[in-house]
Amino acid sequence: MSSGVPAWAPAVASPHADDGDVDLVARVVRLAASPWPHPDRVRRLLAARIDHGLDTGGPAVVSALEGAVRRAGAVAAPASVESMATRLAQERARVLVVGAEGYPSRLASAWPDLGAPLWLFLRDDAAGQGPPDAPTVAVVGTRHPSADGLRTAGELAALLARSGVVVVSGLARGIDQAAHEGALRAGGLTAAVLGTGLGVDYPAGDHGLRARVARSAGLLTEYVPGVAPRGHNFLWRNRIISGLADATVVVEGRARSGALQTARMAASQGREVLAVPGSVNQPTARGPLDLIRDGVQPLTRLADVLEVLRLDSGDFRARPAAEDATGVHADLLRLLGPVPASPAELSAASGQPIQLVLAALAELRARGRVTATPRGFVAATTIGRSRPG
Amino acid sequence: MVGRAATIAVVGLDPVPVTVEAHVGPGLPAFSVIGSSGPAARQSADRVRTALGTVGVTLPNRKVLVSLAPADVPKAGARFDLAMAGAVLNELGVLGPELDRCALLGELALDGAVRAVPGVLPAAASLTGSGRRLIVPDRNATEAGLVDDVDVVPVADLGEVVAVLRGDRPARAVPPEEGPLPGIPGPDLADVRGQAEARRALEIAAAGGHHLLLLGPPGCGKSMLARRLPGILPPLDRVQALELAAIRSVAGLTVEAGSLDRTPPLRAPHHSMSAASLLGGGSGVARPGELSLAHRGCLFLDELFEWPRGLLEALREPLEDGVVRVARSRATVTYPARVQVVAAANPCPCGGGDRCACSDDAIWGYRARLSGPLADRLDLAPSVTPLSAAELLAAEDGASSAAVAVRVAAARAMAAARWNGRVATNAEAGAAWLRRSTRPAALAALAGAVEAGALTGRGFDRALRVARTCADLEGAELVEPHHAYEALAHRMQLRACAGAAVGAAAGSGLV
Repeated sequence: MSSGVPAWAPAVASPHADDGDVDLVARVVRLAASPWPHPDRVRRLLAARIDHGLDTGGPAVVSALEGAVRRAGAVAAPASVESMATRLAQERARVLVVGAEGYPSRLASAWPDLGAPLWLFLRDDAAGQGPPDAPTVAVVGTRHPSADGLRTAGELAALLARSGVVVVSGLARGIDQAAHEGALRAGGLTAAVLGTGLGVDYPAGDHGLRARVARSAGLLTEYVPGVAPRGHNFLWRNRIISGLADATVVVEGRARSGALQTARMAASQGREVLAVPGSVNQPTARGPLDLIRDGVQPLTRLADVLEVLRLDSGDFRARPAAEDATGVHADLLRLLGPVPASPAELSAASGQPIQLVLAALAELRARGRVTATPRGFVAATTIGRSRPG
Repeated sequence: MVGRAATIAVVGLDPVPVTVEAHVGPGLPAFSVIGSSGPAARQSADRVRTALGTVGVTLPNRKVLVSLAPADVPKAGARFDLAMAGAVLNELGVLGPELDRCALLGELALDGAVRAVPGVLPAAASLTGSGRRLIVPDRNATEAGLVDDVDVVPVADLGEVVAVLRGDRPARAVPPEEGPLPGIPGPDLADVRGQAEARRALEIAAAGGHHLLLLGPPGCGKSMLARRLPGILPPLDRVQALELAAIRSVAGLTVEAGSLDRTPPLRAPHHSMSAASLLGGGSGVARPGELSLAHRGCLFLDELFEWPRGLLEALREPLEDGVVRVARSRATVTYPARVQVVAAANPCPCGGGDRCACSDDAIWGYRARLSGPLADRLDLAPSVTPLSAAELLAAEDGASSAAVAVRVAAARAMAAARWNGRVATNAEAGAAWLRRSTRPAALAALAGAVEAGALTGRGFDRALRVARTCADLEGAELVEPHHAYEALAHRMQLRACAGAAVGAAAGSGLV
């Protein structure tokens, strides 16, 4: 047990933490400064305690860990503890521990045996409290989405945000980033669970999205600051994403993708899972279609997810139809959908000569109504894309 | 006393007059050639000496010295044999002053027969209006006869040369140039089913001389389409056909038929070929490569992504200049290389087709492997799609090559009237001239694409040229916005709208 609370401890604890919580946070920082309590080892120790019917409350597990670290001779030197505290302060991180004030309540219900981590590092540049105790939905999917997948993720996140739902995802390229962007654009709250430590520029080139999410509902991770990206860490991270959310929506993903793993985690944690049905011709629709085949509820309209959460869908507004287009343009907007179509197909289907179809496609693209993909043209997303020209 | 005979060397495509001097005097028996280089001189000496025996001239106990002047012009091959024999015969008094009015070209066989040599056409062209007769091997006679106003004398062997020049026998006439060959018709566009987009792009490419990239999975008909381009291009005019014939002549492809070939060429080099065989090369003086053999026609680059990057980069300058300069040890030569590139490539890393599971960003990344500057030069990039069995049966026959050629010819005529002889095709037209015949709204459409990152500055001018061709095909005086948009549409498979998440997500990351 520790004696006396160090001076740095209140700064890294939750704003509303009491003295006991601050002491617990200080002990966790000492543990985290040692290389021994890697999340994998913490999970094994916890599993052993569950098997033996021992106390699995947060403080008890922290004590058990301290004992294990002492036995391993890996107690962190005071200098390492100081530098860990300094690093956490630099990253403006707060430490959330199971059983102490600030640990997300929905995630706490997945403790001890449904994958919640013993502690989390939070960076929340706004209030310092992390995701609020509001309805929360995880929107996840592939890093290599189709244009339609990006559109769905962005519009779904925007709808959720407008309805007061917190959107959680993993900040990965593709669907994850589209979901964060959609929620931010609609003025809502979004949180990201990282597979790296805080202070790591990953994924690079996100146009400041990470900073904007940090100012929204915050960045969360179970890894200490500076831990580099490792494939294995990202898979484990997914159980935190599903654990934070009331429902998980899989937008796009191939068979055996990380998004499917998140869906399985959510199901095992007793949370709702929805899958966005895509075309059988779209490789990225394979994952959601497999989920639907296995009994997962399909998302037939965006508002379905609000019904699952028992929220009012009154705020949902349908995308305006192609009312302003005429002639070939209208024909094309009617024919185009989420599955890419070639100009030759569109020409045959509309009965218009190929040169008119090509010119109309380019003009519609310039107006942001159509997106060019390598396989052909799809109807454009209306959210998450700026209009050229 | 020195015997003389005139002949013509060809350096690259440039003819250079060469005088052969011969001196026969007492001394140790020898036949030396100076003013030439390499083993070719030694071999010429032996051939000429033996061939002279067939017309009864033996040179026992005589020292023969043959000089090719000027000495610093690169000379290679056996084309000077006949002139050497002529100079020796002149020195010995067998042939007299009538030789002064002649130039001789040809390789001698040991039995005195005269064999064909490359580069006769440019040599003959240099004699136009000079009043000189050109004595050439039988098999080169048609080729030399393509040049106007040159008296060509075909000969079968050295004996005939002596007989004709001494007046013992009349010179034979060159077989007259036949009209365009009825020949074998080329492959026809009517054979191609479906592929509306690629057909339209092919028609625009033909009408404006634009470069074209066909994107499609294996077996969907990319080569089939490419090979139909020459059939819809207008036939070469006489000047162009002669340029091409001269290049073929220098490359050693003699003109066999009794007619000037007016069909635009299509050359399809393989991606494993060397830079020398593509651009021109060889020791001493470079010979024309596939690029120049495709002059005034099409260069078909199949499997574009398989081509070494260096080779594609090397193509950029010739494509811009219309000529290729090749430096070798003995001379730097320039060959014309005004070609239209037709390239073909798989649409994605796995080859494409029904089973393709490549992600969109993997495909954009694959296509980005075309270096930016070369991609900018490919004005049209239609996708060629595989047809299902049902479509193969159901699709109507498309327009025939003849029908498309009529539209192409009309568009070209309109362009020719506008450019008034300054340039031949829209692809070569200056941007400033183009803007004068473009509506501001059409320019704004293209400028919007530049702003959105879909076009580069160079791409802007090139898209404007394609738009001009679309307008010409429609018979429109001014380039309207829909022409500009069509031009943009034809290269949208090459560059995604920059800034969209699909295009940006090219890096490799974890979950």
